[in-house]
Amino acid sequence: MSRAMETSRTVTRRPDFTARALVPLGLFFGLALVFPFLPLGTRAEYLLQIAFFTLVAAILALSWDILARSGQVSLAHAAFYGLGAYGFALLGKVMPWFAAMPLAALIAGLVSLILGAVTLRLSGMYFAIATLAFTEVVRTIIQNLPESVAGGANGLLVPALLGGNARAQYFLAFGVLLFTALVSLAIRRSRLHHAFAAIRQGEETARVLGVSVVRYKLAAFFISSFLAALGGVLFAGKTFFINPLETFSLANSIAPLTTSIFGGLYTTLGPMLGATVLRVAEELLHNSVKNGYLVVYGLVLMLTILWLPRGLMGLLRRGKHGGEL
Amino acid sequence: MTAVSFQPSVASQQEVVLRADGLSKRFGGLLAVQNVTFTQYSGEILAVIGPNGAGKTTLLNLLSGVYRPTAGRLHLLGRDVTGESMEARCHAGLGRAFQIVRPFPEMTVHENVTVGALFGKAGVSLPEARERAYDLLERTGLAAHAEKAAHELTLLQDKRLEVARALATQPRVLLLDEVMAGLRPAEAQEAVQLVRSVQGSGVSVLFIEHIMPVVRDLADRVVVMDQGQVLAEGTYREVTANPQVVAAYLGTEEGLHA
Amino acid sequence: MELFFQTLLNGLLQSGLYALVASGLALAVGVVGIVNFAHGEFLMIGAFLAWGASAYLGVDPLLSLPLVAVAVFAVGALTYRVSIRHVLLAPELNQMLLTFGLGILLQNLALMLLGGNTRTVTTPYQGSSLSLGDLSVGGPKMIAFGLAVVILAGLYAVLYRTNLGRQMRAVAQNRRGSQLIGIDVDRVYLIAFGVSCGLAAVAGVLVATLLFASPTVGLVFALKAFAIIVMAGLGNLTGVLWASVVLGVSEALVQTYVPGGGGWSDAVFFLLIFATLVFRSFRGAR
Repeated sequence: MSRAMETSRTVTRRPDFTARALVPLGLFFGLALVFPFLPLGTRAEYLLQIAFFTLVAAILALSWDILARSGQVSLAHAAFYGLGAYGFALLGKVMPWFAAMPLAALIAGLVSLILGAVTLRLSGMYFAIATLAFTEVVRTIIQNLPESVAGGANGLLVPALLGGNARAQYFLAFGVLLFTALVSLAIRRSRLHHAFAAIRQGEETARVLGVSVVRYKLAAFFISSFLAALGGVLFAGKTFFINPLETFSLANSIAPLTTSIFGGLYTTLGPMLGATVLRVAEELLHNSVKNGYLVVYGLVLMLTILWLPRGLMGLLRRGKHGGEL
Repeated sequence: MTAVSFQPSVASQQEVVLRADGLSKRFGGLLAVQNVTFTQYSGEILAVIGPNGAGKTTLLNLLSGVYRPTAGRLHLLGRDVTGESMEARCHAGLGRAFQIVRPFPEMTVHENVTVGALFGKAGVSLPEARERAYDLLERTGLAAHAEKAAHELTLLQDKRLEVARALATQPRVLLLDEVMAGLRPAEAQEAVQLVRSVQGSGVSVLFIEHIMPVVRDLADRVVVMDQGQVLAEGTYREVTANPQVVAAYLGTEEGLHA
Repeated sequence: MELFFQTLLNGLLQSGLYALVASGLALAVGVVGIVNFAHGEFLMIGAFLAWGASAYLGVDPLLSLPLVAVAVFAVGALTYRVSIRHVLLAPELNQMLLTFGLGILLQNLALMLLGGNTRTVTTPYQGSSLSLGDLSVGGPKMIAFGLAVVILAGLYAVLYRTNLGRQMRAVAQNRRGSQLIGIDVDRVYLIAFGVSCGLAAVAGVLVATLLFASPTVGLVFALKAFAIIVMAGLGNLTGVLWASVVLGVSEALVQTYVPGGGGWSDAVFFLLIFATLVFRSFRGAR
């Protein structure tokens, strides 16, 4: 019998991944590293600023993707981004930035565990709406705290990061993105990757196979929110000023989601590529129209869902399965 | 806890691996499983049969922890697991393959099995899990398909994957929910061999089955259920000779196609 | 005591509008099986159409209402044809994200074309008010409530008394079965989605007379509609009515009785959605 033949055949063991998959990532970071030193001419300052916000967008998208890998499609990213921003605004007044930054992120991470715990059994649109509602609750609370605490609806001044030195801020953002990418790669190479993927593709089956779903879902929340909050710190420290309406806006939850989906879900490079393309597109459009430049996110999201299910990464790796980093 | 678990397992054949004491499950007004008691010994293949709606799948869901019983206790390897989660039961040595195959669709066949190997028992490293998964694919005849996407498999291959993945968790007891369903006779024969080889590796098997020849070929002992209750228990020959069992089957349209 | 009854009345009147928005959304969810995150944007389109008709043509919103409803029905039907239809069999995530994209697209197009300012509609009955004993009600609020009741009555009459309505409910209950008994499911979907958008637009017209038209006016109503259908149970069309009343009245109570009410009422409302969702999920657990 032919199947009996199969039974005796042995498998060629393939490595989980090869170092070659790291080359595009290396290229991305190489380019990002030399960018400030390029002869950018008279608009150098403006371009460096766009590059800075591109890095922040990439941090947010990649951190959102890490949570999505565990099947939790969140609309609460703005909440953790905002908690990072507000945490830094308040803590930065009483301690040096390098202490305020991780502490603000830690607080956001811990708050995310609360959200994670109560939404454990929710999925799909219920999960999306619950996370959206959570963001609004956080925003309303911050907005209604006494003005002396968090500035109320008017907002809050933020201590400038690194004395407002644009180039230093850029490299700090570069460092945070590099850290985020390393975390993402570390997850990809660890048991977390298998747990996340299993939960996403069949939660009950994962449990039958012994995956401690609660623990891994919460871990995804913590890691994702911690990193998102670091992005929030960078944003707040760059703009000197934050207010609840903009910081916790739905747009800040949708942008990372769109960026990841457009770039390529569940990959490290995809969200970073997506951020680069979308940020540049947004900026170009912003230069010609004052309002509504976020239209690119709506358009890109629709077109991606209808015609590009695996995003940019799907274009780059047409027809290949698995082994993506 | 029972005395059984404290006895040294002199005769491993007599070690109790699974014991249900009066398991019941009520859904609203419906008593789907009622006071079910049975014992499974180490190395044994136990079949649960019964007409449609007899409560077999509900029983399996009670055993694997999908449902909590309304009453009764469940012991696995001498340990009371009645209140424990699915993942805890898996760690304690209970594996399960589903009737409707549930591969992780975006993973390769090998990755599917790796998940079972990695999380089924504490302290398995990722390289070990990957290696064990490859071994299992060889044992279950899936070696040639290791790097395929799970959704590219045929039904029989999917069932093999389902079993391989459950075995990867290193169970002492494996629950199989109608693995033969939808297979052609030749394929079913291969599946029977697969279950035999599972038993050969020291795993006790509890399976639900509709196809009586398969039950006859595989089962050491048979538990017959009807209307949520245990109707009879014994060897295949004994239960099929039991007039109550025959009556229960005749009462339905299927009859005993033995 | 008078304050209490005034509060109850305000809440009740507000709930008419909520029910209008939510029953449209429930139609999309229940019949088509699509959770339309762009529902608020169809409301926004309705509000702007009413404003445009009033500002440029001098047509009273109450007169332009039927035309707006038909126009947005057509927009909704078109949207179904070119986008929604293609993801009906796709994973829920893709459906959700598609309508999300649509919402962002519509909202930003409005921003681009009309700017972010709020536009108010002037009507002759704007400042009028009605007294019921000791209680008083603003004219536009009363009109909006009355219209909402009439339209909802019409909707439920269609759903329960006509052939089309029976088909819709049949599809909502069992898609495959409906196909087998010869219902043109695709056509039912198209109509249901169109009607859903039309209902949002009608609500938008009323919002324009009560508040204003702006590109972002729809979001908060859509969120409240989500809260309502979640409370009612997904796709439960009759549950929508009482859930709307619960939301409207509890909001009014918070505004009246919680210190600094205006600011906190939003938080209370979101907490309500959140709590409902979480409670349901844990009660549903085995």
